Amino acid sequence: MLGIYVHVPFCERKCIYCAFSSFMNKDTEEENYIRYLIKEIENSYKTYNIEKKQNVDTIYIGGGTPSILKVENVKKILVAIQNNFNVTKDCEITIECNPNSVDYEKLKSYKKLGINRISFGIQSLNDEDLKFLNRLHNKNQAIESIRMAKKAGFENISADLLIGIPNQTVNSFTEQLKKLIELGVKHFSCYMLQIENGTPLENMVKKHQIILPTDDQSVEIYNNCATFLKKLGFNRYEVSNFALDGVESKHNSKYWVGEDYIGFGLSAHSYINKIRSANPNNFEKYYKGEKTFTEKLSKEELIEEHIMLGLRCKYGVDIEYLKNLGYNIEENENLTDFIDKNIIKKDKQRLFLNPDFYGVNNYIILKLLP
Amino acid sequence: MERIKKIRNFCIVAYIDHGNSTLADRLIEKTGTLAKRDMQEQVLDNMDLEREKGITIKLTPTRMNYHYNGEDYEFNLIDTPGHVDFTYEVSRSLAACEGAILIVDASQGVEAQTLANAYLAIDNNLDILPVINKIDLPSARPEEVKKEIEDVVGIPAMHAPCISAKDGTNIDQVLEMIVKEFPAPKGDENAKLKCLIFDSYYDNFKGAICLIRVFDGTIKVGDKIKMMQTGKVYDVTEVGIFVPNEKPIGQLKAGDVGYIAGSIKNIADVEVGDTITHADDPISQPLPGYKKVQPVVFCGVFPVDGAKYNELKDALEKLKLNDASLDFMPEVSQALGFGFRCGFLGLLHLEIITERIEREFNLDIITTAPSVYYHVYKTNGEMLEISNPSALPSPVEIERIEEPVVKASIFTPPEYVGAIMELCQDKRGIYKDLTYLDTSRVRVNYILPLGEIVFDFFDSLKSRTKGYASFDYELAGYQPSDLVKVDILLNGEKCDALSIIVHKDKAYSRGRILTEKLKKIIPRQLFEVPIQAAIGTKVIARETISAMRKDVLAKCYGGDISRKRKLLEKQKEGKKRMRKIGSVEIPSEAFMSILKLDDEDK
Repeated sequence: MLGIYVHVPFCERKCIYCAFSSFMNKDTEEENYIRYLIKEIENSYKTYNIEKKQNVDTIYIGGGTPSILKVENVKKILVAIQNNFNVTKDCEITIECNPNSVDYEKLKSYKKLGINRISFGIQSLNDEDLKFLNRLHNKNQAIESIRMAKKAGFENISADLLIGIPNQTVNSFTEQLKKLIELGVKHFSCYMLQIENGTPLENMVKKHQIILPTDDQSVEIYNNCATFLKKLGFNRYEVSNFALDGVESKHNSKYWVGEDYIGFGLSAHSYINKIRSANPNNFEKYYKGEKTFTEKLSKEELIEEHIMLGLRCKYGVDIEYLKNLGYNIEENENLTDFIDKNIIKKDKQRLFLNPDFYGVNNYIILKLLP
Repeated sequence: MERIKKIRNFCIVAYIDHGNSTLADRLIEKTGTLAKRDMQEQVLDNMDLEREKGITIKLTPTRMNYHYNGEDYEFNLIDTPGHVDFTYEVSRSLAACEGAILIVDASQGVEAQTLANAYLAIDNNLDILPVINKIDLPSARPEEVKKEIEDVVGIPAMHAPCISAKDGTNIDQVLEMIVKEFPAPKGDENAKLKCLIFDSYYDNFKGAICLIRVFDGTIKVGDKIKMMQTGKVYDVTEVGIFVPNEKPIGQLKAGDVGYIAGSIKNIADVEVGDTITHADDPISQPLPGYKKVQPVVFCGVFPVDGAKYNELKDALEKLKLNDASLDFMPEVSQALGFGFRCGFLGLLHLEIITERIEREFNLDIITTAPSVYYHVYKTNGEMLEISNPSALPSPVEIERIEEPVVKASIFTPPEYVGAIMELCQDKRGIYKDLTYLDTSRVRVNYILPLGEIVFDFFDSLKSRTKGYASFDYELAGYQPSDLVKVDILLNGEKCDALSIIVHKDKAYSRGRILTEKLKKIIPRQLFEVPIQAAIGTKVIARETISAMRKDVLAKCYGGDISRKRKLLEKQKEGKKRMRKIGSVEIPSEAFMSILKLDDEDK
């Protein structure tokens, strides 16, 4: 079934590590943007050459910071989707929120609009870290926002956390997880802090103003995090994602399994009928309806993607599917080696990466490509 | 005047960048052989590589007509490669001439190779005309350099033309002196045919082309000729001269320089230094001085992508068409798969060939550390010639090993003498003598193992003397030496392509440097990898590469899978450059790394 992603490219301010598509012109651009967004949603069946009123079982409003939009605009977006697609009853509808830009009222409105999953950009529960990252919230606000979401009726709450921040230790990270689980968080996305080109963070590192933990130190924290969460029943269903049973993100899973999705809004990506395309990261070009690229995947590319995505999550690689595309992965001698070493598990017609090796999955993927 | 009296056959000899090609260009231009618009800098250097490196690799003779005092003279300029690797080629082209222009840089003065080439010219009984070049440079000191030539080379130089080949200054003076100073060739066009092959190249349509100097007799299209060394017989299909491109003229007579073609299918059948005569009316004695060129430096050449073995083979075969001195035979390495062991005249030759393979044939290759031929005397009385370290028998079977040595002479400003002696000592050199040529130049002579020179001698010499020293060597036989083989083990498995033969005293330090270097170059693997250096079963150095802990592509945001796939594809390309030894992956650079064990690493 189809998934829908909506990009909200506005933030109150940029975090030092952020290289995503987000701008600080919400005050002047919000209304305009919503208008074009709705237009894009209405025209999408033409753009992607699909039938009207397709079934949609996941909607994900991401950003940027979607929670800084006026509630009425969030509503407009959801209504537009409802009008043009057939949103299933059990549809997973997620919105990303920053702890400082929500209050109880707003969360209650989200609930009323049918949103059933909140993804909080917590990043850290350490005030110094949050300041360093240029986040607008503090520890207390983070805790309070989760409490409010619970109170507003949300069961499915996820928290984004960063690993690899200065001063972070195995212990401080575990303490943080404990606290969040206590508050009712059922899903974690843990990302390693990455130094992206053109970010203030990159600049600081270059000028030696900060010293980030080494890869080995970060990996240490990451591995401890994975072990700790596993003990508490969290399933590492993707390299960076951990969830209790039943609350794995259906939407993100679509990316990994290779299901179709449409992305609306600035810089959003779509994958429909084996065609990948992307919207521009520029308001003017976006309003004109331009695309930065549209590419039909070749057999080779489909093979590459299937292996690349299948081995970064619990869904695995389908041997038969690859065979039909012309690649007999079982003839790859590296595979035999990996199976012998218990790095890859084979179960009937599927191959799975042992989660202990998620941290080096890229190395393994490269070995298993045709 | 008799035809032969108006011929001048000469060459230009010089140190590598003293400007022989530029002077050749000016001469061609001044005599009107080529219109200026057809001139391309360094006309005679055909290969891109030659132009880039500013050196001559293949010889190209040129016929020029010069009008002087009411007479038309025929000049044949034979350009020579100014590098030690090609000494034999130089000596054969000198044998085709009566005169040599010796170019000396007005600011740098006499260099090691200037002297080597000048002596080569003197040995070939040539008249030498010194020319002081680059007088346009602010640092030019022509009068001092003239004196230096007289003192060091021992030939009169006070009347040497002072020129700037670059600016075209005083080129006329050089042309006039060629007429006046150089003798006309001697020879009888009616005598039996006697020609010297001084070079050859391959033409896809005409077959091998022989560049020849006719000493006696006349050679023309249709003649049946015989190569006296190889004994092969051919029909001459084309006879011509170079202006500077090939121009058929039907016949060449005594004193002339030109080329012949004869449907010769294999360049190896044309040996530089061989004598051509008529098959049915031969001379009894060939010209003297012929020798078969032997490669002295060897290395393994392997395709980075193992599937390209046949392409590499084609490339080597094509290069061999134009370069009979290139030697190669198939070799199998456990680490590198199928490839070739190639023999070269020297390091420059090696560098040129490997670069041409990469550029002209677009092949990525791995070359193993250059090596020399060792004479290995076994306890059972057998003697093996070995250039590949992995072929060395086990120590118990070896009675002794002899290695080739060279007589090296280094020219340097006095302030670097200390550094040079230290370097030579470090390279196991045996001091011979030291001569002050004048107050600013010293010649240091050493006997050095060739195996040390092929290691990193040139680079070290250059860096220790800021490039002021010049270096020349000639082979000086074999001498016994206490040599051992150091093997490298990765995860306990021997990697044959990384083995080296070194002197016992250096085995420990080399082993340590190698393991350290490999630790830096080899990326982390899924599991810990020990790197060991060993002599036989005795481990002399050890490093460990810890297991890889993180290798994840950036997270994909909002379903941006394309970017990720592209990153992956790029990495996949990179992987192709990796070689697998047992379970360990090694980037191809690792194999080159042992070539450069710089001083700072020690």
